[in-house]
Amino acid sequence: MAGELAGTSPPGWPRGPIRRSVAVSDPILQIEHLSKTYPDGTQALADVSFTVAPGEFLVVIGLSGSGKSTLLRCLNRLVEPTAGTIRFQGRDVTAASPQELREIRRRIGMIFQHFNLVRRASVLTNVLAGRLGYLPPAWALANYFPPALARRAAANLDRVGIVQKVFTRAGSLSGGQQQRVGIARALIQEPALILADEPVASLDPATSHSVLRYIEELNKKDGITVLCSLHFLSLARRYGTRIIALRSGQLVFDGRPHDIDEDRFKAIYGEEAVEVEVH
Amino acid sequence: MAATLLVYAYGWRVTQIRLGELWRGAHLIRPFLSALAVPDVLTRQPDLQKAAAVFYYGGETPPPPGPGPGGPRLRLSRVTGAIGDRVVASGEGFAPSRGGILWWENQIGQRQQIGTLTTDGQGRFTQAFIAPDVQGTHNMVSAEVVRGVGPLRLSQTFFTVLDRMVETVFLALMGTTMGVLFAVPLSFLGARNLTAHIPAGGAIYWLTRSLFNLTRSIEALVLAIIFTVWVGLGPFAGVLALGVHSVASLGKLYSEAIESIDTGPIEAITATGASGLQIIRYAVVPQIVPQFIAFTIYRWDINVRFSTVIGFVGGGGIGFVLQQYINLLQWRQAATALWMIALVVVLLDYASAVVRQRIV
Repeated sequence: MAGELAGTSPPGWPRGPIRRSVAVSDPILQIEHLSKTYPDGTQALADVSFTVAPGEFLVVIGLSGSGKSTLLRCLNRLVEPTAGTIRFQGRDVTAASPQELREIRRRIGMIFQHFNLVRRASVLTNVLAGRLGYLPPAWALANYFPPALARRAAANLDRVGIVQKVFTRAGSLSGGQQQRVGIARALIQEPALILADEPVASLDPATSHSVLRYIEELNKKDGITVLCSLHFLSLARRYGTRIIALRSGQLVFDGRPHDIDEDRFKAIYGEEAVEVEVH
Repeated sequence: MAATLLVYAYGWRVTQIRLGELWRGAHLIRPFLSALAVPDVLTRQPDLQKAAAVFYYGGETPPPPGPGPGGPRLRLSRVTGAIGDRVVASGEGFAPSRGGILWWENQIGQRQQIGTLTTDGQGRFTQAFIAPDVQGTHNMVSAEVVRGVGPLRLSQTFFTVLDRMVETVFLALMGTTMGVLFAVPLSFLGARNLTAHIPAGGAIYWLTRSLFNLTRSIEALVLAIIFTVWVGLGPFAGVLALGVHSVASLGKLYSEAIESIDTGPIEAITATGASGLQIIRYAVVPQIVPQFIAFTIYRWDINVRFSTVIGFVGGGGIGFVLQQYINLLQWRQAATALWMIALVVVLLDYASAVVRQRIV
C-alpha cells in the first residue's frame, strides 16, 4: 500500500513511510485560525479551525454568504487567506511557493457549482485539462496530451457514465452531465482530496442524488477524502460522515449528521428557518 | 420645441440645403445614371482591314514598297510632295461595300483623320485629300475598313477594374492582418480582468486603452493622407492607414471580448495546478477565439468597403481608377467600377455573415 502510493507520488513529494498508512487518524487537512477579510471589508471567515481525517466525507453547511465557498477556495488558495495556516498532507499550503502550490493543487480536485467547464471545448479536452498540473507547460502550445492519458480520460468518463459524449462540446450537455465531466476532470488528477463547492446547487433533486452518488463512490471506493458544501441539510445528512456548519464566517457546529437537532438547526440557519427536505 | 426649431433652421442655412438644385442639376448627372444601366463590361472588337502607304515631305523620295502580302493594298497618286498638295488615295482588295476611314500619321506616330471612304462592289475605293500641315517629313497614310464585328468580349475597362478590385481586396486583407498582428497582443494589455493580476496593471490598462481611443479618433482617410506623404502614393500607404486604424478598432473589441469571458474555467484550470501559460491556453483562448475570428472577419469587411475610397487620396485600390473615370466624365467606365465594388462588397458581406454564424 505504502509502496504503491509512493510510486504514484510526483517527484519532490515526501517519500518513504507515508504517514497516512502508518496512522489512519493522521489528518489529511489541518486548518488553524483561518481568517479571510476581502478588500471591501467583508469578513468571510473568522478564526476557523478544524481537521479532516483521510477518507472522511465532510459536508460544510450554512446559509448563502456564510463563507462556505471562501473556505473551500482558501484551501487551495484560489482565494488568499488573510491569516491562519492550512496544512495538506503535512505540507504548509499557506506558505507554499508558486511551484509548491501547483504541486499541492494537482493533488486536490475541485468541483464547482457552475461546473466551470470550457463550454466550447470537447468533453475530452475538459477532462484532460485536469491533468495539466502534471504536464510540461510547453505542450500546451501544441495542444498535446499523451495518448495514454486520453485513454484514461475516456475510462474516467466511463466511470461517470458519459463515455459516449467524449467528443461532444461540453456546453451542449445537460447540467447533470456537465457536473459528471467536472467529476471526471477532478478524478484524472488522482487527487487525495476533492473540494466540491455546492456541486448540486444548480441541479434538480433527482440529478443531485446521481451526482452526489458518484462523489460518494470516489470517497468510498477510491478512498478520496471529500470536502463538500451543500445547501440542503437532508442531502448533508444522507451523504456526510461528518458535518461542519458556518454562520457569518464562524464555525458553529462540528459533529455527526444525526447530532443536528431543532435547536442546532436554528443556531445554524437562524430562528426563522424551516427545514426543507430533498429526497 | 422652439430651440429645436432654431437649431434645425440654422442647420438648414449653414449646410446650404437647396432642394431646387436636385432638379436643376439633374441633366448633369443623367449621363451617369443612364451609364449605370450599361456599364462598360462587354464589347465587340471591330474587325478591321488595314493598308498603308508612305508620303514624304521635302522632296525626299521614299523607298518603293516591297511586295506586300496578299491582303488589301493602298496606293497614292504621288508619294512625295508638300503641305497643301492634293493627293488621291486608291485602294483595292478590301471588303466590298463597307465604310472606312483614311488616316494620316506623322513621323512620331500622331494620327489624324483626313477623310472617310466607301468601298465599291469589288472592294476598291478612291478618295482625294489635302496633305495636312504637320511636323516632320516621313508620313504615312493608312486606310481602315470595318469588315465586321468580332465576338463579344470582356472589355479592357473590366480587366482594369478587376485588377484594381483584386488590389483593393488584398489591400484590405493586408491592412486587417497588420491590425490583427498588433491588436492581439495589445488587447491582453487592454483587458482589465487580466491586467489586474500584474504589477502596474492599472497603468498598462489605461495606456493601452488611451492608445486605442486616440488612434481610433483619427479617420482612416486622414491616416491615408499622412501615409501617402510618408511612403508615397500607392497601396502601401493604404495598407498602413487601414492597419493602424484596425489596430485601434480591433484592439478595443478584442479587449472587451477578453473582459467578458467566464472566469469559471480559469478558476477550475488554476485549481488543477496548471501554470499561467496553460491557464491562458486552456481557459482563456478557447473562450475568445470564436469572437476574435468574428471580429476580424467583420473588420476585413469594413476595410474592403473602406479601401474603395482610400484610392481617392492616393492610397491605391479601385478608388483610384474610379476617381479618374469620374474626373474624365467616363461614366460607363465609372459605372463598371461602381458595380464591381457593389458586387464584391455584397459577396464579402454575405460570406462574412455565413462564417460568423458558423463560428459564434
